[in-house]
Amino acid sequence: MKRFKKSLTGIGIVKFLIYLFFIMFLIIPLISVFLVSFTDEPINLFGSLISLDTLQTTIAQFKSSTLDNFRAVFSNSNYLDALLNSLFLSFIVSIVVLLICVPISYGIARTKMPFKKTISALCTIPLIVPTFISGYAFIIMFGRSGWATYIYQSMGGDGLLLDPYSFTGIAIVQIFFFFPYALWPMVAAFKISDVSLEEASRNMGAKSWLTFITVTFPLVIPGMLSTALVIFAVSFSDFGTPIILAPTDLNLLVVSAYREISGFFNWGGAAILTVIMIAVAGFVFWLQHLFSKGKNYDSVSGKPKQVKLNDNKLLTVSLSVFSGLVVLVPLLAMITVFIQSIATTWGKDPLPTGYTLAHYKTIFTSSLGNIQNSVVLALGALILSIIVATFVSYFVVRQKSSTLDFMTTIPLIVPGIAFGIALIQTFNAAPLQLTGTAVILIIAYSIRRLPYMVRSTVGTMRSIKADIEEAAVNLGASTLTAAITIIGPLMLPGIAAGSILVFITVIKETSISILMAPAEWAPMSLAIFQNILRAEYYSAAAMSIILVVLVLVLQGIANWFTRKQS
Amino acid sequence: MGAVVIEQLTKDFSGVTVLQNIELDIKEGEFFALLGPSGCGKTTTMRCIAGFEQPTTGKIKIGGKVVNEVEPNKRNCGMVFQSYALFPHMNVFDNVAYSLNIKQLKASNPIKKIGVYTRMLNSKLVKYSKAIEDKVMNILEYVELADHATKLTSELSGGQQQRVALARALVMEPEVLLMDEPLSNLDQKLRHTMRNTIRKIQQELKITTIFVTHDQEEAMSMADRVAVMKDGEILQIGTPTDLYSNPQTPFIADFVGTSNILSGNIIRKENGISFVEVGDQQVKSTSDVDKKDVQIVIRPESIIVLDKNSQDYDNYFEGEVKLSTYLGSIVRYDITVGEYNLVADTTYESGNNILQEGAKVKLGVSPERVLLI
Repeated sequence: MKRFKKSLTGIGIVKFLIYLFFIMFLIIPLISVFLVSFTDEPINLFGSLISLDTLQTTIAQFKSSTLDNFRAVFSNSNYLDALLNSLFLSFIVSIVVLLICVPISYGIARTKMPFKKTISALCTIPLIVPTFISGYAFIIMFGRSGWATYIYQSMGGDGLLLDPYSFTGIAIVQIFFFFPYALWPMVAAFKISDVSLEEASRNMGAKSWLTFITVTFPLVIPGMLSTALVIFAVSFSDFGTPIILAPTDLNLLVVSAYREISGFFNWGGAAILTVIMIAVAGFVFWLQHLFSKGKNYDSVSGKPKQVKLNDNKLLTVSLSVFSGLVVLVPLLAMITVFIQSIATTWGKDPLPTGYTLAHYKTIFTSSLGNIQNSVVLALGALILSIIVATFVSYFVVRQKSSTLDFMTTIPLIVPGIAFGIALIQTFNAAPLQLTGTAVILIIAYSIRRLPYMVRSTVGTMRSIKADIEEAAVNLGASTLTAAITIIGPLMLPGIAAGSILVFITVIKETSISILMAPAEWAPMSLAIFQNILRAEYYSAAAMSIILVVLVLVLQGIANWFTRKQS
Repeated sequence: MGAVVIEQLTKDFSGVTVLQNIELDIKEGEFFALLGPSGCGKTTTMRCIAGFEQPTTGKIKIGGKVVNEVEPNKRNCGMVFQSYALFPHMNVFDNVAYSLNIKQLKASNPIKKIGVYTRMLNSKLVKYSKAIEDKVMNILEYVELADHATKLTSELSGGQQQRVALARALVMEPEVLLMDEPLSNLDQKLRHTMRNTIRKIQQELKITTIFVTHDQEEAMSMADRVAVMKDGEILQIGTPTDLYSNPQTPFIADFVGTSNILSGNIIRKENGISFVEVGDQQVKSTSDVDKKDVQIVIRPESIIVLDKNSQDYDNYFEGEVKLSTYLGSIVRYDITVGEYNLVADTTYESGNNILQEGAKVKLGVSPERVLLI
């Protein structure tokens, strides 16, 4: 009792509220979706707490719970197909990404490759573009009336060079737009591995290529495996590419789950697919954690070493050409989207028949609401995540709260579509009927992007010495007042850095937007998606360009901030 | 201003005892030093008084009231941190006014509260009251920083930052002033000046002050009384002169000033004089102890280096100079006597000869200056 009374201070109440927030909007939805996979219909956990009738219904639901859905995974060929296809897709994508990244990262880290800077800069394009826009870009490049198809056919090819609406299409888009996630960790691995070991090998008479295969390459393998798992997870959770490109006969987990819930209202089916998604993502995350922790021989000696850059002409030029071709694809994709956005009509020709700004005009007259929605929603999510992350980092750093630390990593693991489905099911009925409101949308965005914010604020919090806070308390401030007047202002730089990242990712967010946004709150990403579905490609292109420019500008501000910091 | 009494204080950190049976009785207006090597528990003791650590057992009283259950922000102990812990985003004035803002916060209605909060976040937006302004400027004048009121704390020198920290603690009119190694971040010269400044302020305000230091010179020159701590225990409490002339353990004898410490056996006592055998030498002492195995403590300045025609001393040794160090006003000799090394200080006046290495000397020590522990 005494302890309880003691924790009933201002800061104690805040901690309670933060826990309540995570339990209500993260933990209970995840548990709930797991339960629904047994009961086959949505259960009202919050309602059961206040209404006896609802409680009885819930108990009745539990009594009639079945393992049908779990059996269905193996009996229903659609579900099993979806799982296997998704796993296969992610596997292929991560393997190919690795193969592509080995030469490029070696080139950047270890050689005097020409155009190294340009290539590095171009590698950031895929990180800016939301995947559903890249998927859509591939449609206008490789579709029936795409310019790439035109060139292919005019060179004597038959049919399509590449069908974007296919498994291969999805895989290729993901490969070209996810490779930067693997590139920079691998560049780091090549930079860090001990050069003296390679010199030793060469000293013993081994040829350059033999040294690469027997020494250099094995040294970066642990880093590569861990990177491959990251790509696997990114590809597995990606919703934007499959939802645009997956043909109806291709089952993928994310798409099937989306169709079950928004098309058929099959709660049980969506739940079991969600559970499977989370299980796979959790397993991959655990595996990745294991790899990056256990086998760590990337810095064999702590001594700073001078890396001698390889300047073999033949090697560097061919590396440069290869890297250039890889980064050219996302660049061309974006240029295509841009040309589309200013084209009057663009049929089956290499270039449009004329140019116009009419599409932008249309957007600024008829779709301004979507841009406003995006900004308002992102701001809401931003404010919420600033508040939550600031306090979370306080509890994690000062009070060593490992529970909160763990809770903020969960959103990193759970795929967006899975989290969305969990929220929809949990908040589907009174007393907390939030599904279809802007509130739950903002909460979903902020929880999903909270890890970025928390990482940034925890870093700053660590750099604020504990005695500054103690000084405030000593001068009479309560812990809460000290947090508001001293810790808060000192954390501003960390908050600013995290904020822009959160804002950008929320604007780019696809899965939550498409799944959860109500019509009156449709953000840009949902509007583009609907335009693509309605084949209104020109306005989709213009809106995409606006979105990318918005992201670019914010990224620029962020970079300017960080440079000013250091 | 209040007296600080600590009774039976112990503190465990996850099973490791860092403070054991601490008993302190610090009087009102006293300047009290906690002295000891690093890790002796002096800072933990201070943090227990400030309320940042909870005692495992024992009572802490400030001004007659037990404060164990009082939150650290309600104890009214002004603390000067070792790092000063100034708020880097506030200027000097705002730093000093912080505790006054807090006091206003507690007294005001909700709307005024928002005003105070706003002022604490940005003092340009909401003005200070005249009373606060006067109070802060007074204390800043007192520590000679009135000209720097609008500067950021990072623009100040170390000594100025120290004085801001002091002013910030003093402006809340604390019952007790706590200082954690207040001078350790200053250079030698500044340290001497600040010693005097702190001492002067303490004397003028008559504020009960407890300060923690590992520097015996600092403790001895500033404090009314000193508690010497080691391994979480208090070894001895006394005035500086008391500690110096009557150290109760060899550790204190060595830690407080320099000492020659030798082991010996009392062989007999006669007329209040103990005869102690030290190796092949015999030493007479007027101090009286109830045991046979003793430690002999002789301060370097108690050893007189005799010239040929000097008076007799009861203790009389012959030795050879190994090393002579000229320290300005004194000359310190390292002298071997038989199998022992002794350190002897002689005052140096210009014109005196400094004995060279290898010189044969005679040493005298009066029995009153030989301490037995």
